[in-house]
Amino acid sequence: MSTPLRPGIAAAELSSDIVNTPIRKRVTDLDHAGGDTGAMQVFAALADANVVLDGPVGCHVMPAVAVVNYTDSIPYLQNVTCSELSEQEVTLAGTLGVLTEKVTAAAAGGRQVFIVSTPVSELIGASWSAGDAAVAGSPLFFDAHALDDDEYAARDRALLFLWQHRDHFVPPGEAEPRKAGPSVNIIGPTYGNFNSYSDLAELKRLVAGIGAEVNLVFPFEASSYDTARLAQADATICLYREYGCSLARELGLPTFFAPIGLEPTTTFLRDLGAALGLQAQADAFIRREKKTTLAAWQDIWRSTHSDFFANAPIAIVAPPTYLEGLRYYLGDELGLPIAFAAARTGPESVPNAEVRRALTEASPSPMLVFGSINERMIIAQEQLPSRFLQCSFPGAVVRRATGTPFVGYAGAVWLLQCVCETLFDVLFANLPTSAEPPVQAQTSTGEALREAVAIVAEAGKGRNSVISWSQEAKELAETTLRRVPFFVRVSVNKKLRAEAEHAARERGSEVDAAIVREIVARYRPR
Amino acid sequence: MSKQPSSMCPAFGAVRNLLRMEDAVPIVISSGDGCLYGHTFVAHFYVANRPIHSPGVSSEIWAKGSMFDELRAMVIDLAERHRPALIPICSLCVSDTVGLPFELLPKQIGNTEVVYVPLPAYSVHTHARAKDIVVDSLVWRLPPQRKARAGVNLIGEIFPSDPIAIDEVLRRMGTHVNTHVPGPRWNDYVAMVDGALNAPLHPFYSESVKRMKMKQGLPFVEGAPVGVAGTYAWLHAVGEALGLEPSAVARVAAEERDRVRTALDAHRLDGRTFMVAGYEGHEFLLVRLLIEAGASVPFLSTAVNANPLARTEERWLAEHGCTVLYGANFEDEIGALTARPYDCVIGTTPLCAHAKELGIPAIYYTNAIATRSLMLAAGAADVLALVEQTLGAKRRYERIARFFAEDEEALVPTYTSWAPKLDLTEQLIAQSAL
Repeated sequence: MSTPLRPGIAAAELSSDIVNTPIRKRVTDLDHAGGDTGAMQVFAALADANVVLDGPVGCHVMPAVAVVNYTDSIPYLQNVTCSELSEQEVTLAGTLGVLTEKVTAAAAGGRQVFIVSTPVSELIGASWSAGDAAVAGSPLFFDAHALDDDEYAARDRALLFLWQHRDHFVPPGEAEPRKAGPSVNIIGPTYGNFNSYSDLAELKRLVAGIGAEVNLVFPFEASSYDTARLAQADATICLYREYGCSLARELGLPTFFAPIGLEPTTTFLRDLGAALGLQAQADAFIRREKKTTLAAWQDIWRSTHSDFFANAPIAIVAPPTYLEGLRYYLGDELGLPIAFAAARTGPESVPNAEVRRALTEASPSPMLVFGSINERMIIAQEQLPSRFLQCSFPGAVVRRATGTPFVGYAGAVWLLQCVCETLFDVLFANLPTSAEPPVQAQTSTGEALREAVAIVAEAGKGRNSVISWSQEAKELAETTLRRVPFFVRVSVNKKLRAEAEHAARERGSEVDAAIVREIVARYRPR
Repeated sequence: MSKQPSSMCPAFGAVRNLLRMEDAVPIVISSGDGCLYGHTFVAHFYVANRPIHSPGVSSEIWAKGSMFDELRAMVIDLAERHRPALIPICSLCVSDTVGLPFELLPKQIGNTEVVYVPLPAYSVHTHARAKDIVVDSLVWRLPPQRKARAGVNLIGEIFPSDPIAIDEVLRRMGTHVNTHVPGPRWNDYVAMVDGALNAPLHPFYSESVKRMKMKQGLPFVEGAPVGVAGTYAWLHAVGEALGLEPSAVARVAAEERDRVRTALDAHRLDGRTFMVAGYEGHEFLLVRLLIEAGASVPFLSTAVNANPLARTEERWLAEHGCTVLYGANFEDEIGALTARPYDCVIGTTPLCAHAKELGIPAIYYTNAIATRSLMLAAGAADVLALVEQTLGAKRRYERIARFFAEDEEALVPTYTSWAPKLDLTEQLIAQSAL
């Protein structure tokens, strides 16, 4: 079992090495975006930025229209354009001409332009160095390593890049003065982060709760010229571990990761309070939370709801922050057995084929699977009885209401509620239902008694009314039942036996494997 | 300013149709993870719950040229494991720029056809063109047209019941529907060699039908049985091309025309002004219906590039007061939106977003229209009912727009609801032709 994430991190402990998802020889259903997308997601989040992707039209429309509409529910990113490369530029002219036009347009009105390379521009060796003089303003070129870096490595580098260029950005007026009281930076989110709107809202609530101020939410609530102001805080909080560490290390302030789970949140608040000289306020806030936000948690925990947990195995496939967070909170704190846990992206990332094998072979099948659409597809394709809960991209989702955090105390309540509701749903789906009408009586009791004897005698199965099962049928039934979650296994067992024996009686045979297969097929989740 | 159409990644038009095939296992050679992620994300959202296989790519892999061996192993592996009818290999920007030796791949493995589909977005330009390339690439693999041929090959993504309805009409004229592509099976394409006539129902399959005419001598007819004039003209063209009994053709064409007219009369749009923008290619046909129902459509913005088939449609639209803007661009469209009042917008995601912000009822072309029939009387009635319903929601759109407007009393067009704000719009409008 993993240990809780230690919320307070010495700057020296922050990994600054850019970590990347391994490049595999073969990929089925890729689960992470590339460097150009990651860089765009950082720069486009700045309020005063225009981003020009140096690539063909698809390199723009895919991430900035088609995908962002289903990750962030934003119709399209209005401050992103592209150089719209055509055959002419790719094979002959190079991208500088069209790029200059686009950058000039994008720089109008004093916007800070970020030029981001794409696989095609990198392949043909396009660069902006010669274009600089031609454009007013100071567009910046960012080499996205689009052929090699994943979205997280690119986000991490892009954030660091902004800090390294902080003197390049000119505030329009007087720079904002340092906050009067203790304040923190929040690094992240960017566009394209699962659930980030809620996580950010909860994190801000926690910070305010202990009496601290937010200096800057970077880059999501900042302009490029705010970058230098990152130095005016007393601590840094990285919303996610996937990116932002390099920047946090450069800032050199006490650094924390946003906590997931009850105990990690408590430790986080105490440590942050200590770092900011707000110990007393932090303790008071924790006491208040126990009576307010966490009253719901305590009530659910004291209810019978939690009795299911020990027999409700789960699987988690997520990027590192959510993977470790859910593993600790759901596994260690709530006590749900972890059937399988795998990293979605980053150096520890597990290929889809292995996730498929693990989910399929798990016995019993995990009752809840936290994952992306890839896991959802595996559940459907392999006809697993597991329920799916989304905790990662890819997969179209609307998560703009801010009441669904994973981090903080509110996150602990929300996740607990999700787990309970889904378990209720499993229960409901497995109860006998009037969707099938009551079985009609075909004979009187007397007739039934006589017929049963006749059928059994005819089938040569002896004189008692117990229908026998073939060895193969027994084994198949056992395998099937092993996959069924514990707390509904008794219902499923009853149903399987009743229906199989009914079918056998009708056919005048013993229960064979074919009958079991037929019945199992009828109850596959759709 | 150079402008390419603001199309969805053109290659996606092809990936989408190939992933929908039940007996195909597509391979997508992406330009990088950003590219592949986009295709995978969108495909799994609304195309199919099927795997997308790809060889891994990186700068090192491209430089070493090691990917081709992996691709070959992958093709053989997938063919042996799944024995599909088809393994289409979609080659996107970077692989097509690098120039992989696709001719060295086996063309057939057992019963599996391995087909290379070139889709460099920078030269394909449009979604529609990519669909044309798919049909062209697959059909290129077929043997010559058979001697005895009969019936019509329908080409175009149409509503599932459309081929049945069209077949019923054609049978009354003395012919039938031979096959329909893009279809779910490779055999749908194979059957094309038995057809006597190609009917590209959407005005962008020009390369496919041109090549089949050259290579196989298979003639084609333009247009589609959409709207009053369109239905009448198309049925006559089919009759003429196949030498059908003229009196039967004239009778059936007149009957169907009158049915469409009756459907249009039930959904009049007189006095309404529409803005239509699309990248699918059948937006031409939708505008036809709107105009015939009495609406005014000052212009049609389409991501389709000018091509011979589109020219015919364009002429008809021009005669009815609609200017076709090829190579549509988001900025142009958004600019045009503020140029005059519209009653309804049917368009791309960004355009609809702006329209809704202004309180104009709007629906996304791909989700709302591309999933419906346009053909014959039933199609006209269906799509016009949707349009009516949308128009009827005017007050609801206005109420929301007013709430979010800076001044709740007066609904002033503003672009304020998204952060960060767009500063490009005005300049682009000024520079564009609109």
